[in-house]
Amino acid sequence: MAMHMMDVAQNSIRADAKNIYINFFEDCDNNILLFSVEDDGKGMSDEELSRLEDPFFTTRTTRKVGLGIPFLKMTCEQSGGSFTVKSEDGVGTTVEATFRTDNPDCLPVGDIAGYLTMLLVANPDIRIRFSYKINNEEFTLDNAELREQEIELQQPGMAGVIKAFIKDNLEELYSNRKVKSFLC
Amino acid sequence: MREIKTLADLKKKQEEMRSRIKLRDNAENPESLVQVKVAMATCGIASGAKEVMEYFVDELDKRSIRAIVTQTGCMGYCYAEPTVEITLPGQDPIVFGYVTVKKAGDIIEHYIKEGELVDGIIPQNYNTIKS
Repeated sequence: MAMHMMDVAQNSIRADAKNIYINFFEDCDNNILLFSVEDDGKGMSDEELSRLEDPFFTTRTTRKVGLGIPFLKMTCEQSGGSFTVKSEDGVGTTVEATFRTDNPDCLPVGDIAGYLTMLLVANPDIRIRFSYKINNEEFTLDNAELREQEIELQQPGMAGVIKAFIKDNLEELYSNRKVKSFLC
Repeated sequence: MREIKTLADLKKKQEEMRSRIKLRDNAENPESLVQVKVAMATCGIASGAKEVMEYFVDELDKRSIRAIVTQTGCMGYCYAEPTVEITLPGQDPIVFGYVTVKKAGDIIEHYIKEGELVDGIIPQNYNTIKS
């Protein structure tokens, strides 16, 4: 799951996004995980959008396949979830995937802390807001807010600290899960 | 390690780090920074680019080498992932393929520190894509 997060966020970065919102929402009562990435990048035209799920479509010139999106679609659909992309040319793109967390084919969450840390450390110029919500409990991290507090992510030695920060908070959040799911 | 839960904890930690680092910060000069770009597209992620990138961030910090580590899109060498592009100050970028954590250690030790080339260079005949 964390790998998909990085993959989709990388798409947003490539679309020259200035703001990226990453949201996870676990609805424990209905066994659903909603994962979405919203950006204000350059968006896609209808034609590009219609070919998006084709693994042999890519805007790159260096290779012929583009597997990121088809891959995400496959993993969420194999768990019984659904997948949608909304995009407007010049406005931005929203990718939304739902997973059924009671399905054994649902992906484990993976190393969210590690990937998020790398995303934050490597992209100081992009505002990234991350939110993980389980029922009514929420953990959010916004690098604009960190900047206001004068916390510099690029300072040497900070990567480990920020990773520990995310990890500790997520672990506390995970303890709120009421039912067992295949996410962990 | 003590748990880090709030932004205040984070800030305190930053102060600690800063006081530890001050000593070696004197020689700072933006042009002298080493640039490390790790390919982070589907192919790179699947091959473990994150572990390599974490290693670069940690290790360069540990050795007090001032460097900028960023992520980039796929460079078209999916067969050789994880790939890393390194630009030493004043030199052309060089792309290394099959960079495991062990290989990353070699690259830091030999290429970044000494300027000696190590195995696994992908010959370059392209212009870097702006990601």
